[in-house]
Amino acid sequence: MSLISVKDIRKTYRVDRERVVALERINLEIQPEEVCCILGTSGSGKSTLLNILAGLEKPTKGTVKIGGQTVSNFSEKQWALFRQKNIGFIFQSYNLLPTLTAVENVAIPLVFKGVDKTERTKRAIHMLKLVNLGDRLFHKPTQMSGGQQQRVGIARAFVSRPQIIFADEPTGNLDSKTSREVMEIMVSLAKRYRETLIVVTHDNEIAKYADRIITIHDGNVKSDEPNLSILQTIHSEKQEENA
Amino acid sequence: MKWKDMISMALGNLFKRKVRTVLTVAGVVIGTCAIVVMLSFGFGIRESMEAMMRDMGDLTVIQIHADSGSSKSTPLDDKALEKIKMMEHVVALTPVCMLDPSQVTVKSGKYRYDSMIYGVDMGALEAFGYKPTQGTLPKKEEENRTTILMGKDGAYDFIDTRKTNNNMVYAEPDKNGKLPEPFLDPMKAKLQAEPTPPENSTAKVKPVKLNCIGILEEDYGKSPTPSHCIFMDISLAKELQAKYEKLNNVKKDKNAPEGYSEASVKVDAVEHVSEVEEVIKKSGYSTYSMNSIRKPIEEQMRTIQMILGGLGAISLLVAALGIANTMTMSIYERTREIGIMKVLGCVVGNIRSMFLMEAGAIGFLGGIVGVGISYLISTVINTLAAQQKGGDAMVGLVSAGSQISIIPAWLALSALAFATLVGLVSGFGPANRAVKISALTAIKQE
Repeated sequence: MSLISVKDIRKTYRVDRERVVALERINLEIQPEEVCCILGTSGSGKSTLLNILAGLEKPTKGTVKIGGQTVSNFSEKQWALFRQKNIGFIFQSYNLLPTLTAVENVAIPLVFKGVDKTERTKRAIHMLKLVNLGDRLFHKPTQMSGGQQQRVGIARAFVSRPQIIFADEPTGNLDSKTSREVMEIMVSLAKRYRETLIVVTHDNEIAKYADRIITIHDGNVKSDEPNLSILQTIHSEKQEENA
Repeated sequence: MKWKDMISMALGNLFKRKVRTVLTVAGVVIGTCAIVVMLSFGFGIRESMEAMMRDMGDLTVIQIHADSGSSKSTPLDDKALEKIKMMEHVVALTPVCMLDPSQVTVKSGKYRYDSMIYGVDMGALEAFGYKPTQGTLPKKEEENRTTILMGKDGAYDFIDTRKTNNNMVYAEPDKNGKLPEPFLDPMKAKLQAEPTPPENSTAKVKPVKLNCIGILEEDYGKSPTPSHCIFMDISLAKELQAKYEKLNNVKKDKNAPEGYSEASVKVDAVEHVSEVEEVIKKSGYSTYSMNSIRKPIEEQMRTIQMILGGLGAISLLVAALGIANTMTMSIYERTREIGIMKVLGCVVGNIRSMFLMEAGAIGFLGGIVGVGISYLISTVINTLAAQQKGGDAMVGLVSAGSQISIIPAWLALSALAFATLVGLVSGFGPANRAVKISALTAIKQE
């Protein structure tokens, strides 16, 4: 059974008197443990799709099911509790709380979950070490580089072990070298914890890290195919191993 | 989310914006101080007014007068008095009967007493608060008809009947400030009372031996005032009066009501005076108590307090606006933060609680500091006033020992509670605003 199932999603906005169609009709099935990339140009509707999947926006029509639950008609409170348990978020502009240290920022989702302070600090430190920030535990966001901040953001998304991680243009503010580092960390953590990772981007380079690439164009799914390059890589790796 | 975490986040937010928090709290401090200090003046004035009235008369005593001259009036007899005595809140009761020294002669050898004689229930005097300076008050159980008490200056009211000039000792201090000795010590002298026979009469009257067991402390707050007088058992006084009337053939006024002309009632507490007085009035007697003076004064006090409290309330209202302003600003600054919290799974109820806690904490902090400062101000004012009181005219208004500013514990506590409430109420609007912030637009904000 697929983890996320999107059925006939339509989203329209009203701008002044005109109706703008963001998503025309989307049907998608996403499997557990999939690393999947939603690729599209600016204005294609890819961010809207992500927002609907994460409950930040409501679809005009259609249903979204996650783990068998119909989430598209959840109330705000239901969504908050659902996100607490099942969803991690990585943003383009990191969205760390500027007054908190790295550890405190990573521990925030656990605070909302009601986890004990000693326990959540322990888990936050562990996560920060996994993203190679063991030496930046008590730095404030302003004392860190963009790449470091995004790694704090990744640690925060994974700390509560959600089923699904949404990443919205996670490398949008980073140079290509740091982007690669960040993507590698994200993908490896998702694989390690057997979590589903959905990355929204406009960058073809980033898409290469995914198992599956869904291209959105003008509010429709234009193509949905497994990432051949990555399959080839895996294939060649296996061959190397065998050899 | 745990309460502990919400509290620490809320306080953390206040702490991070120190200057603004301090300024907002200062507003509440000033408001609380204004209310508490203003009201404390009100309480101080009220207290000194009460002290002044206590000096003027016992606040818990009601005097009853039988309406004389009207045949319809209710007699103030033993039966009526017994009924009043059984009323709730009535502690003690005594009829009062005045004897003229020309009607009843009290003498000791050549010295004749020449001042007021009051017939009262001797056993009730203690409950009315009469205090002896010498000797004791009669105990109820050992009531003796011949027992009397002397007012403070009663001993100076004896006249040397063998002299026509210079036949009295006045209770006035001499040049050295010493009081002259009276003719006799009533505690030791042999005293006797008899109804005065008509002039030139040869009728023999049998004198009653009296035994003075105490001298009363002078207290002008009491009625009858224990000063130039003798207190005697009411039944003896009535008997002597009756004998005098018989001897002198005094014709009784037929319309005059039976029983006593006057009585005093002691009530357990000031609050019950008007209640008891009302009932007695309804039974057909005229009454008098300090309560009739107290009421208009109290109403005036209340008005003064309301004006003073109102002035204080205005400053707290301004402080409330300050809190609302601070919280609203804080929301604008933290829109993005609130959005992030929502996306990361913070339930909106928790966000609202945190904002309310912040606002409440501002009020609470301001309240605590405000109450503290109010106590300080109050102490300073009272100390200054006490120093000034040494010689000058303040004594008239503020009687000795009382304070200008009084802060009762309940005022301090309710001021604290009120300040916190003001904080919560002012934070309510902003908190609801914070809850309504759309997570999506908040995180998109750069």
